Amino acid sequence: MRSEQPNAPLWGQRRRGWRAGGAWALLPLAFLGLALFLPLWEVLRLGLQADGLWTAAPLRSVLGDPYIRRLLLFTVEQALLSTGLSLVLGFPLGWLLTRYRFPGHDALRAMTLVPFVLPPITVALGFVLFFGHAGYLNRFLQAAFGLAEPPIRVLYTLWGIVLAHAFYNAPVVARFVNVAWEAQDPTHVEAARVLGAGRLKAFFTVTLPALVPGALSACALVFLLCTLSFAIPLSLGGARYATIEVGVYNLARVDVDLARAAALALVVLAVSLALTCLYVRGGGLLRPVSSREREQPTVPLLDRKRPARLLWLVYLLPAALVFLGPIGAVIADSFLRPAPGGSSPTLHWYRIALSADTTPFLGTSPLGSILTSLGVALAAAGGALILGLAISAAVRRLRSRVLETLLMAPLGVSSVVLGLALLLAFRRPPLSFLPPGPWPLVVAHILIVYPFVVRAVGPLWESLDPRLVEAARTLGASRRLAFLTVELPLLRSGLLVAGARAFALSLGEMTATAMLARPGLNTIPLAIYQFLSSRRFGAASAMATVLMVTTALVAWAWERTGRGLLGRREKAFLASDSHRGGAEIAEPVERVASGFMPDDKAVRGLKAVADRLRRYREPIHSTTDVLRVSAVRKHRRNHA
Amino acid sequence: MKKLTLLCLVLLALPAWGTELVVYTYDSFVAWGPALAIKDAFEKAHPGVTLVWIAPGDSSEMLARVVAELELGLPTADVFVGLADVEVPRALARNVFRPLEPERLAHLADVPADLRIGGDAFVVPYDHGYITLIYDARALPDELVPRTLDDLLRPELKGKIVLQDPRTSSPGLSFLLWTIAHYGEDWPAFWEKLLPNALTVTRGWTESFDMLEAGEAPLGVSYSTDEAYAQIVYGELVYRVLTPDGEGFHQVEYMGVVRTTPNAELAHALLDLILSPEIQELIPTSQWMFPANATARVPEAFAAYAVIPEHPVSLDLDTVAANLSAWIRTWQEILVAR
Repeated sequence: MRSEQPNAPLWGQRRRGWRAGGAWALLPLAFLGLALFLPLWEVLRLGLQADGLWTAAPLRSVLGDPYIRRLLLFTVEQALLSTGLSLVLGFPLGWLLTRYRFPGHDALRAMTLVPFVLPPITVALGFVLFFGHAGYLNRFLQAAFGLAEPPIRVLYTLWGIVLAHAFYNAPVVARFVNVAWEAQDPTHVEAARVLGAGRLKAFFTVTLPALVPGALSACALVFLLCTLSFAIPLSLGGARYATIEVGVYNLARVDVDLARAAALALVVLAVSLALTCLYVRGGGLLRPVSSREREQPTVPLLDRKRPARLLWLVYLLPAALVFLGPIGAVIADSFLRPAPGGSSPTLHWYRIALSADTTPFLGTSPLGSILTSLGVALAAAGGALILGLAISAAVRRLRSRVLETLLMAPLGVSSVVLGLALLLAFRRPPLSFLPPGPWPLVVAHILIVYPFVVRAVGPLWESLDPRLVEAARTLGASRRLAFLTVELPLLRSGLLVAGARAFALSLGEMTATAMLARPGLNTIPLAIYQFLSSRRFGAASAMATVLMVTTALVAWAWERTGRGLLGRREKAFLASDSHRGGAEIAEPVERVASGFMPDDKAVRGLKAVADRLRRYREPIHSTTDVLRVSAVRKHRRNHA
Repeated sequence: MKKLTLLCLVLLALPAWGTELVVYTYDSFVAWGPALAIKDAFEKAHPGVTLVWIAPGDSSEMLARVVAELELGLPTADVFVGLADVEVPRALARNVFRPLEPERLAHLADVPADLRIGGDAFVVPYDHGYITLIYDARALPDELVPRTLDDLLRPELKGKIVLQDPRTSSPGLSFLLWTIAHYGEDWPAFWEKLLPNALTVTRGWTESFDMLEAGEAPLGVSYSTDEAYAQIVYGELVYRVLTPDGEGFHQVEYMGVVRTTPNAELAHALLDLILSPEIQELIPTSQWMFPANATARVPEAFAAYAVIPEHPVSLDLDTVAANLSAWIRTWQEILVAR
């Protein structure tokens, strides 16, 4: 049994509830109002007003432009093709991960998460280096088969973009398929087989229909991501191929026609809101329902009696080429591209990429770009954690769909529109009152990454048994102490993962960043793009390797030190201003626990609290002392 | 957060220590051209002043940056170097430059009148040259070498031509205007066949020339001085200049002072320095263009190998100003339509 989460109505009799919940909602609402809704209003005004009057004329003029219509068409075309190819490449991978065991299975499964944090610009660079006309693959094929002309010509075509998107999104499909498949009850297939269905028939009539919702949900997400993709079409599309996102960027930053940029941005905004709604609403309906009673059986991939399974190599080898080739090419190129003197391997490109000589080509010194990136990512991750926690708390207390939609609005706003909105908003008060600095970038990155924090922390918080906090409160702990000693530690893993992911996402973000960049405000992904677009490949590879290593290291270090830091904070709180050892009260708490709803999650929670208390031999906080007294009193009453 | 604020403050305080003169130009002016020599000479003449070159793109892209930064109220350049004549109307329409004070430009007197435009009100020229086709003599067989613009449409040349984007690059724009001057009303028909024949359209000249040097394409749009470059740098004519139909598009490059600069005096000093014979004599063998200052000496090898087309082509700037955006729009539609 599990009691309902305490609800507080937004308006009504329970004023205390509104006050507590309202306070939680106020901070995020104020921030979003200033940093998102006001800027979006600026876009709306610029895109829908002519000479101070509201009119649809700018919108009509943009939509009537044959060039823009072509952009829209191309955006849909490439997104459809990319989704199809991602499905074709990703489905077998999901199948492989579900059905077979083989050495490296878990590593491969973990690797399907890599695209979530891999910056798109490094993928674009990898594609140029690997699939380019003078790229590694072509050079290898030319040498192997003695060809005079490079055989593979996908770069700067539609297919280059589609392939790069598939690289990015096939693992997403694989993950969805894997999760949906593992949720199935294997007895269904077995029943079909017992009833005489062949293996193929069982697959097509039982397994596949149950996978359709998961696959559809994945396709909706992939279509959304490919429609709003920016860095890949910008760097791989050449002059000819551009998506609407790139179109907004070109209108705002190359043609400098802000009114038309705003009008097109409104179109993009409508598209991104519609697709996000479709995915969020539809995705909920299509989420696979776990019906299984036992796990899916797996079979070994390498089996001497079943040589047919080696046919998987037909998929695995080209897939490894597509997935590992580009990333490998970036890292290899940064060391192996011959330096001007001809020496290779060399550190020359790292020296070039980091030397002040490249400053004119970046607009900022390379070290300045790296510092800006790290500073902005740190601020964005910190801000996103605070905002994410506050929003999770507000949504928990005030169950209001409207509020939830408002607070999660950035999910539906494309990054290029967000960049344009902030670009416009920072021109006038109140945002222009901020002292000069990287504020537009920090704000944009917070808005882009905090929904991921909410999505990581919200469900986790929701899954905590409310009786844990109730128990602590009954035992005399203040709301604050209960939050710090019961809820926060239980949310810790989610917070750490979310923080590390927020940091990594901010480090790799290039869309809003490209819109907001200006002299002196450059980041690592922009530096890579500038090196890449001026064909300074060695320097681009070196910078991209720096970015990938930094992302991996920082995510890892964040996890490590984050755990330590949170632990210390809790300890410091417990240790301040008191006179008793934690072990002393741990025992009564434990005893209360065993007399209090035996064999329940709450008991396990209380035991965990007791364990934590026991670990601190230092004197404990006076509030905790109260906890001890009431625990003992309650214990006596229960056993009286 | 505190650390970040501190870091920002430090980063912000850094430039405050001395005067900085920020100059926007196109990338090849720094990568090849006399930018670093100019910086040294300028900083020696003005102690305490730092000259900062910013050049992440080709000229039209850089012009767009200045325009965007002016429009959005962001900090921007003090000086812009490297505006092609055909881009000047666009820059003037966007009100990028402040009026020049010719009395501060002593060396302007040595610049021939036919290079100067608009009574030197906003911009002055610093070099000039001819946009032509060039090809890699090692990679393109003689029978494929185009003799006329029409020859570029030959199917044998498919995938062998590199062009630049006229929206972001000044040689690209000059080439487009050359074809407009050559074909008149029929220019879209030419481009409808030319674009499918091209290997790619690069953002700027640097990228297209790099593709030529890397052997990725044997034929491209570049400058008539590339034979001099090949002769002086490689010791042989690896690149040959083509003047199809005897033509080449005359390009004059200009510089001006950005309207918002607080350092107008230093900016004028920089323009005058670039016009001085000392710097102008570096232009032929670094920038690979003809100097604007008539008193500057040109190396013999350069004079001997720099090609001057029989029939230089140019367009009246008023016509350009009136039609440029319509032409670009048409070009863009041809680009995406095929």
